[in-house]
Amino acid sequence: MEQTTVQGQSNLVREVLEKGICVRCGACVGICPYFQYHDGKVVVSDWCQTSTWRCVQVCPRLPYDRASLYDYFYHVNDCTDAIGPHRQVVAARSGDKLVRSAAQYGGVVTALVIFAMEEGLVNSAVLTDRGGDLAPKGVLCSDREAVLGCAGSRYSASAALSELNLAIQAGNDRLAFIGLPCQMEALGRLSLSEPDGQERAGHVELKIGLFCTWALDYRALRSYLKTKGIVEIPKKYDIPPPPSEVFIVETNNGRMEFPLSEVREIVQPGCSVCEDMTAEFADISVGTLEGDKQWNTVIVRTDKGMELFEKALRAGVLEQKEIPSSNLEHLKEAASNKRKRALRARGEESNE
Amino acid sequence: MNRISQKKGGTRMLLQANEAIARGALEAGVIFAAGYPGNPSSEIIETLAKASRDLPIYVEWSVNEKVALEAATGASFAGCRAICSMKQNGVNVVSDFLTNLSLSGTKGGLVLVSCDDPGGISSTNEEDARAFAPLSDIPLLEPSSPQEALDMARWAFDLSETINNIVMIRSVSRLSHSRSDVQVKDLPDFDVQPYFDTKVSFHTFPIVAKHQARHEKLRMAEELFENSPFNFYRGPSRPELLVIGSGCAVDYAIDAIEIMSLWERVGVLKLGTTWPLPRKLLLENLQKSESILFVEDVDPFIETNVKALAAEAARQVGVKTFHGRGSGDFPLCGELGPSHLLEFFGNYFDLDWKDQEFRNKMGSLTKGKIPPREFGFCPGCPHRGSFYAIKTALAWDDRDGFVSGDIGCYTMGIWPTGFNQVKSVHAMGSGSGIACGYGKLEGFGFDQPVITVCGDSTFFHATIPALVNARFNNADILLVVLDNSATAMTGFQPHPGTGKTAMGQPTQPVDIAALCESMGLEVHVGDPYEMKETARRLYDLMQKQGPRVMVLRRKCALVQGREGGFPYDMHVDQSLCVGEECGCGRYCTRIFRCPGLIWDKEKKKAMIDQVICVGCGICAEICPQGAIKKEAKG
Amino acid sequence: MELNVIITGVGGQGNVLASQVLGNAAVYKGFHVSIGETFGLSQRGGAVMSHVRLFKEPRYSPLIPPNRAHIVVGLEPLETLRIAQDHANPETLFIVNSRPIYPLNVIAGDVDYPDTAWIRQVLEQGGSRLYWLEGTQLAIELGGPIMLNMVMLGALCAIQSFPLETKDIKDILGEIFPQSKLEVNYRALDMGEELISNYEN
Repeated sequence: MEQTTVQGQSNLVREVLEKGICVRCGACVGICPYFQYHDGKVVVSDWCQTSTWRCVQVCPRLPYDRASLYDYFYHVNDCTDAIGPHRQVVAARSGDKLVRSAAQYGGVVTALVIFAMEEGLVNSAVLTDRGGDLAPKGVLCSDREAVLGCAGSRYSASAALSELNLAIQAGNDRLAFIGLPCQMEALGRLSLSEPDGQERAGHVELKIGLFCTWALDYRALRSYLKTKGIVEIPKKYDIPPPPSEVFIVETNNGRMEFPLSEVREIVQPGCSVCEDMTAEFADISVGTLEGDKQWNTVIVRTDKGMELFEKALRAGVLEQKEIPSSNLEHLKEAASNKRKRALRARGEESNE
Repeated sequence: MNRISQKKGGTRMLLQANEAIARGALEAGVIFAAGYPGNPSSEIIETLAKASRDLPIYVEWSVNEKVALEAATGASFAGCRAICSMKQNGVNVVSDFLTNLSLSGTKGGLVLVSCDDPGGISSTNEEDARAFAPLSDIPLLEPSSPQEALDMARWAFDLSETINNIVMIRSVSRLSHSRSDVQVKDLPDFDVQPYFDTKVSFHTFPIVAKHQARHEKLRMAEELFENSPFNFYRGPSRPELLVIGSGCAVDYAIDAIEIMSLWERVGVLKLGTTWPLPRKLLLENLQKSESILFVEDVDPFIETNVKALAAEAARQVGVKTFHGRGSGDFPLCGELGPSHLLEFFGNYFDLDWKDQEFRNKMGSLTKGKIPPREFGFCPGCPHRGSFYAIKTALAWDDRDGFVSGDIGCYTMGIWPTGFNQVKSVHAMGSGSGIACGYGKLEGFGFDQPVITVCGDSTFFHATIPALVNARFNNADILLVVLDNSATAMTGFQPHPGTGKTAMGQPTQPVDIAALCESMGLEVHVGDPYEMKETARRLYDLMQKQGPRVMVLRRKCALVQGREGGFPYDMHVDQSLCVGEECGCGRYCTRIFRCPGLIWDKEKKKAMIDQVICVGCGICAEICPQGAIKKEAKG
Repeated sequence: MELNVIITGVGGQGNVLASQVLGNAAVYKGFHVSIGETFGLSQRGGAVMSHVRLFKEPRYSPLIPPNRAHIVVGLEPLETLRIAQDHANPETLFIVNSRPIYPLNVIAGDVDYPDTAWIRQVLEQGGSRLYWLEGTQLAIELGGPIMLNMVMLGALCAIQSFPLETKDIKDILGEIFPQSKLEVNYRALDMGEELISNYEN
């Protein structure tokens, strides 16, 4: 690739890709031919010469004024709550055992997406597939079976926003997007980007965020597992809550445990500067409920999220219970710690 | 009936010099011809192959030049006249055999034709193959017109049989690809009975004795050269300047002398027999003038040897002032052209030779406004798809991978038309050989993926040994065979994979994929037009180890164009095209670079050049807006 | 007598075939002919130039000396302009097809293709006469852009100072083309000739 004098794209490449802090959210992929995602990596295939650089505007690893996002989505200038602006936090699970058995924990995400589709709130949803020989990637689902096929945790980045970009490009409307905090931030930035960000973000009707402490570099994970003698495609990954400190990989040949300290070595370096654990710019954020594998923690943030959540409860698609206060405390502490670590890593003092 | 096969002589016909060489060989009664395609030599075998429809001769495209000369030598040992042709690079390939063959000697007249490419118009170098004549101690003939090419080719077989050794004819691009009216002679009856006389044997032992005999043969040739009509002097008895040279440069010298009316001041000694040099003739002519100008392509071959001769005979010929490439009067590299001669004479005799006023006027009008014409793959060329897929896979992999290139149209992968993916190109098959080296560096921490490419014809020519080496030594190499079912670069000659011989007869094709499989290699076959699928496959293969092969199969676009054409009518929906905007940035015209897809300057959108586009349809896949539309041809 | 004609264009335009046809016709007409061709990579869209030289006496020299072309037949405007400075002179007559074939570096936006009106103007100022023809358009009407070379040969034959007529070309076409292709090539020659005889400037 012969480099030319291009400002925007080359800045993004220098500041993010070359520094190794790309978190493979996929926001820059699929909006142009110059960024591509394949097998767990976002790469530049050619140099562009335009002067608009939507890629730069949406990248969650480039500095950005978070207050403008709070303002745009929640009409507040700042948020001191470690888990971000929200309407309520509850414990919930799918009312359908089948969904629960397919899911990692309480199946809330799967149930909500299917419900939103069946209710006609959305036509289709972009989720992350299971991956295989290659790293997980985004996939456009428009029926229950497809969504169920995506259930479960990946622990690796998937650049699923690229699939959302392509779905919008292809003329899909009323989309749901399910993704990590970095991806929710990128989607938020998209709404504020020039020249057509608002219009493109307008095609996304529902954003469901997933709690995230960090994500793994899939290519590094594959190499790591290879050194551990695992060459077949894993069926499931799991990280039980502390203090277990293990990473569990299930394959057709059984279940293996690895020290989490080793696995942390292959966390994407870009995750260390991320200050958002609970996907603050989603309509609804979902994560584990510590100490209870059958349930999820659910943070309902927006009116739209609230409406869907309540409708799902009424329809019996979801069941809810109050979240134990110790759990909520732990969650806030974990979220706060992530933010502190990120600010330290970025060389900024914590303002808390 | 082909006029090359015309039995009766006496007529004048327009022939390309390569055709003239073929006709000369036929007039000498050649019954066996072999060669390997390569610009500018290919038309010799092609012409003979066409003649084989009318005449009882055998013609083949061999798998490579060395085998070609060996096959022709078989015919010679059996008493038949045989010719073998190639480009300059090919002589390197045959050289191992040639230097031994010239020790053993030959029987039936055997002629090796090398067509060199001064300036490297269609080559990877501009090597002067004449060096192989002194290296192998064989006679060398250099024609300087199509007529002489014909006459020399005819006579070369007599010479070969007189001295019982192979004779080399050396042409150059300019001559080989020129045409002129040529007087032909009758064709013989071709009634030869091949027979290998087992009382005689052909080998190089005893070596020193054979070496001595080889020099004796050369001395015999020199004697014949002294009176050869291919050498002549034209000019005054005591010229101020004596031009000595060979090939087209002599024609330019004569033109320049005519233009400047210098026939009373300049003499020309044109040499057609340039190894061994006819000493007596040279010494006699050297005495005519104190100033000598050498004109030849490319190396100062005659110049160096005549200087040595003049040094030996200094007492006899006197002190000289020498001019030429070796003396710095002409560039040491590149082809000599008419302007070199005019400029030299202009300076030497202080004469005006060019219309400077006109040149200045045009120069100032056009300065900086004439863009060069970049080389590129043809519209519809499968290589564009292959390199696009390779580029994509290497980008996905993101370990700074690159392509080890080889010889063929796809050599252009070094340029933007092949997305600058190819980082090295040398000789036939060398891409894979070099890749064998990269493929053993992993243990030292080398992590860059390397894809090596070769065409189908190149695969057979010289890639196979490299591939066997990779298997033998377990080298991590990924070879992509760009199989376009043709020796496209040189004019679509058949090769072992095409199922047809030079004479048009059907033959069992050698299956590249099956051959690779039989070596125990992992082999995949794909379609260069399916760029995404090919990129995915290549990416997967890059993650593996050991020798791997991907055959990308799709007919050369020029062949496809002749055999039924392409399926699509293309157009750009300009309402969808975003042109220079973010989201595209002229991706198709700026990056993909197909000559059929052009830029509408006024509307700032892409458009199809309907005169150039053939309708392969692959550009529809790369448009981020889906604006490039393909419709089945009506 | 010496008549130097340059045919210039881009690979794929039938340049070499045109010079070959011309040379054959000239030999039949009794001329001695020398044709030099620069191709090589030209099959791949590069520049191609043929030097066609007609003599009364036997002579061979494959390149026309600098600035000594009497007639330049340009199949492509930029390629015509490219060779003008080195090969033309104030007496040179240009017959040029107006339709550009854009080089890849132009398509890519690396460099600009000069305005064809400007090329026309420079060539008009450069030589003694310029015939600026819409040859490609005519070729397409005749059946395809590949007919351009015969259209331009027809135009060349209409030039007073050029010693061959379209009939001389037609007489030898049978050696080059199959019977089925002859009629359309004859028509191309005739139409090309008419482009010159009806030329209004």
